[in-house]
Parts: sequence; structure tokens; C-alpha cells
Amino acid sequence: MYQYSEQDHQLLLERVSQFRGQVDRRLKGELSEEEFKHQRLRNGLYLQLHAYMLRVAIPYGLLSSEQMRTLAHIARKYDKGYGHFSTRQNIQYNWPKLEDVPDILDDLAKVEMHAIQTSGNCIRNTTSDPLAGVARDEIEDPRPYCELIRQWSTFHPEFNFLPRKFKIAVSGATHDRAAVAVHDIGLRLVKSDSSEETGFEVYVGGGLGRTPMLGKVIRAFLPKQDMLTYLEAILRVYNMLGRRDNIYKARIKILVHETGEEKFRELVEAEWEKIKAGGLFLRDEDFNWVKGFFNDPAYEAIPDNDVDFENLMLNNAEFARWVDKNIELHKQSGYRIVYLSLKTAHQPPGDVTADQMDAIADLADKYSLGHIRTTHRQNLVLSDVQLKDLPALWEELKALDLATPNYNHVTDIISCPGLDYCALATARSIPISQAITARFDDYDFINDLGDVSINISGCINACGHHHVANIGILGVNKKGTEVYQLTLGGSAREDAAIGKIIGPAFEADEIVDAVGKVLAVYLESREEPEETFLMTYRRLGQAPFKERLYG
Amino acid sequence: MALQVYTASLLKEGLVAYLALENGQPSWTSDIHQATVSEEDTLDALKQAAEQSEQENIIVAPYAIDVLKTEDGIVAATKREQIRAEGPTIELPQDNLRESRQAA
Repeated sequence: MYQYSEQDHQLLLERVSQFRGQVDRRLKGELSEEEFKHQRLRNGLYLQLHAYMLRVAIPYGLLSSEQMRTLAHIARKYDKGYGHFSTRQNIQYNWPKLEDVPDILDDLAKVEMHAIQTSGNCIRNTTSDPLAGVARDEIEDPRPYCELIRQWSTFHPEFNFLPRKFKIAVSGATHDRAAVAVHDIGLRLVKSDSSEETGFEVYVGGGLGRTPMLGKVIRAFLPKQDMLTYLEAILRVYNMLGRRDNIYKARIKILVHETGEEKFRELVEAEWEKIKAGGLFLRDEDFNWVKGFFNDPAYEAIPDNDVDFENLMLNNAEFARWVDKNIELHKQSGYRIVYLSLKTAHQPPGDVTADQMDAIADLADKYSLGHIRTTHRQNLVLSDVQLKDLPALWEELKALDLATPNYNHVTDIISCPGLDYCALATARSIPISQAITARFDDYDFINDLGDVSINISGCINACGHHHVANIGILGVNKKGTEVYQLTLGGSAREDAAIGKIIGPAFEADEIVDAVGKVLAVYLESREEPEETFLMTYRRLGQAPFKERLYG
Repeated sequence: MALQVYTASLLKEGLVAYLALENGQPSWTSDIHQATVSEEDTLDALKQAAEQSEQENIIVAPYAIDVLKTEDGIVAATKREQIRAEGPTIELPQDNLRESRQAA
């Protein structure tokens, strides 16, 4: 992973020192809340429903074990002993005191972490495929490109006050595990039609929130050397023309929609012509330098089978279930990718305690070359585990309650913090996710349902990504009562789609039954077990689901 | 007329607080039951005290909320404010809580 230079360290220490001074002045009353608010937001500090909330950046979801231990230390020393992994691969602390935040940032800086640009109208943390560098379907490792984007966008003076926040995702594989189509800019590494050269398919104007839209492909193939100049051109057009008069129309998706895809493309290309040969043009030495941080580790040459593993698969159904659901093949023979499920009956989706974090760091050192990935579905990944180590790792994960066999299945629910924490939320989402998890906790049922996603948001801002779930749940406040709207048919993958609202909302005590009815229609209607929920929905449309729910 | 109390976030901690006035002296408490209740049209004293506390950098962003008087004391009128008063409606993650559940 990327290692900070002396300059990087210096920059971060100066930033922490600046913020310490700002906090001090605020506490002494030398800065008003209105003046201070802009400073704290630039350092990831919100004031939420119950307390301050600090969002810490995890660049493209990549963590070292040392960083994870620091996150545990912060949870334990400054918070209530836990943290929450978000849908943007970051971590949030829900209870820090203002006076402690400079010390937290100091501790983060020691392990090359920070909270810069995790809030505010600037370019946020670039997200990526949690399987980057190890996936079998990878065309090229996206992490070097993410790092170049991180360095370009951090403290970029021209883009520090954009019309609205700006999110970029990069994927390098055939299967989209980074939801590129619902980002302000999505980059997909693809092969050129005419050569073996890789470049980017460029999506612009995707997003969720109150006006969900899929990104438009404004360039089918962008040479890699032009990545930063082209991003700069897009951002310049957005910065010049994006609406600042109406917060609800300020995202780039609205600009692309109102300008028209073709016209927007022309504007970007015209801007690009002016700057494409400039200093941001990427040279071979730039790529060689950054790729040096992401070289493959020294994998051992080992066979892709193991007698003890195979015996346990045959003799222990619980282990076999975990392997079936939470393990993926690795590009390297004898290695596997392991999903750590943060979706249990005991904790809110994405939440991890300090002891769990420390234990995960130890497991990463012991079994997975000292690295951990975070996923946009709010789980964790150990990316480099030897096949022979899976039985021992499973035992240790079970003891930590991190081995629920449900990855990409019905109880692997994405949930925003909702009205239990969030000042913007209008309804609770965590209790609904817990009620669904409790109802559908039977493994055979989960297994029979197969690949299906449920996402829950506690307000129209859609931080729980409900628009792109196969089954989406949106909590709203209707005359003082929390009610829940169902959307069906969404997808965040390569077949991205925005789900459609099925009908009137359900009350809190009705929504789990409603989900149960939707799942029952699917099980009764699918033509074969391999037909997924989404395939069935796309074949049948809304009618049978609507009939069962409201008929 | 609706009954109201003043609420805000404490500047240092960010925690939820309610205004209590005793002999004209303001203090901020985390317990909504200790808050001074006023009718909507007689809120001026509470409003002035809250604004004073804001200027003195004790609290951030004060505002009045509707409350109800019940047998159990003062209850916020909306779900949002009830959650602010009582805390999250879910059990917070705790290492010992998870272990005790697993043991059970």
C-alpha cells in the first residue's frame, strides 16, 4: 500500500496543528459556530443527533493491521468502544468530544490516516473494488489509479469549494464491486477494442439521494495517461456550471441531466483540449512510481488444494456453509479471499467493537499479510489467506461473531445509521435491519434465496443505497409516524439499475412481513434455482409482487 | 398552547442538553425531566437564557421543542426528539455484551 513521504507527513502534522488551533479558538469563543462549522466539516467532524461524529478516511478501503489497531485505540480511548464502517469504505465514530478531536487526528496521523475531505463540498474519498489486486476477474489493479486520484484531489485548490460534494469510484474488474454507475464520476478499467491496451470507460453524473440517476458514459475509452487531465476537465465544467443556487440541484448529475449528455460531453472535451498536454498528463515514470506501492506480495508457490481443508468441508456442515458463502477464489493458487461479515443479529450493520478491531488486526497479521479491506456493503475482507489456514481462521472468526455465512445474501443488509444517530434522518433504519435479520435467520432459507440484496435508508438522502438494492427500503416520516417505502429491482453492479417504488408505504410493524411476501413471490415464481431475485423481477415486472403486497 | 422546552448540543461534548432556569439562573442538563417547561407564548425568558448560553459558548444551536406532560414526566412530542432525549433505540455494540450473549 502507499507509504507517506516526508512531505505527506509534514502536510498532515501541519493540518492537525491548524485544527487544534481552530478548536482552541472555538472553545474560547474566538470563533463563532458559523465560522468554525466550515473548519470542522473540512476535518470530517459533524454535529449529529446525540453528539459529534468524526468520519475518518480509508483511502479506497485499504487498511494495514497497524491502522486497524489505531482505529480500535480511538474507539476505546475517545469514543464508546466501537466504530461504524460506512458505505464509502470509511469509518465513523459517533461520540467523540470536540476537545479530544485534535488528539484523535494526531493519533491518526501517526499511522498515515486523517479525516480530511470526508465532508464538505469537495472531492471525497475515492472508493474502489475491495478485491483490487487479488480478484480473478481483474483486468488491471485499480489501486494505483485511486492513489493518483487521491493525491491529485487532496487539497486541490481549484476544487475546494465545489457546488456540492463529489464522489469518485474506480473499478478494474469485469464485475463491478464498486458501484461505479452511481458515483459523480465512475471509472472502469477496460481493454481497448483495437489493442491490448487498458484505459477507462468514463461514467459521469451518477448518484443516489432524492434524484437517483445512473451515470452516463461520456467516454468509452480514455487512455490511462489522460486520467487526471480528463478528471480535471470534468471538474472544471462542473465547478463553472454546476448550480449553487439550489442545494437539491447542485450535484453533477443534475448538471449532466439539464445540459444534456451530448452537450456536456462537448464541454468536457473542449476543456480537455486546453489542458490535456499539461502537467497532469501521466508519464510512464509516474505509473511506475505509484505501481511500486502495489506490487504483489511474495506469494508462496502452493497447490490449490489441502487435505485438512477438504476433510473439514466434508465433515463439518457449518464450515462448509461459511466457505460457500464468505470465501472467494483468489488469483493466486492456494490462496483465498475471506469476507468478514459485519451483519450479525448482535450489532448494527457495519459496526465493530474495539476488541473486534484489535482481533481482526491480529488475524490479518497471522493469516493475511497484514492487510484488511473495507467494502461498500459495510463488511471487511482478508484478501490473502492460504487455503490451509481457513479452518483455523474460521474458528477464530466464529469466536468473534464475524463468521455469519451471509455475504451477498438476504441478511447482508446495508443500513445507514438512520434516526438512531443521524440529524438528517426521518426514520430509523437499524431496528428494521435487525428485525429482518431476526426473521430470516434460517440458513437453509437464506441459502435457497441465493443472491439478493436488501438496503435500508432512513431518509431521502439515501446513504443506505436503497435505490440500488434488489429490495430497497426507505424510511420516511408521515404525519409523525415512521413508515417504510419499498422499491424493487435496483442493482449496484455492472447491470446497474434504479429500483422502482412498488406502492404505498408500510408501517414499521408491517415492513418485515412485506419483505417476506416479496421473497415468497420470488421463490414461487422463479423458473429454476439459479434464477436470481433480480432475474425473476426483471422477467415478471412489478405486477405479481404488487398483487401480493396490496391485492 | 403547546408546552415547550429549550434544547441544544453542549459545545465541548456535543451531547444533548436541556435548559433549566432556577431563579433566573440557567443551567443545562442531559435529563429532559429537569428542563424548565413553558407555554409557547411565554418562552421569552427561556429563549433569552438559551441565546445567552450560546454567546457564552456553553451550547450550540438552541431551539424550542414541543413536549407533553405525562405520568412519567416530560416527554418530547416527536420521535426525533424522543430519541435525542433517550438515546439510540438500539443496544450499542459492546465487547462484553457480545460475549455474554454468545455464552448464553
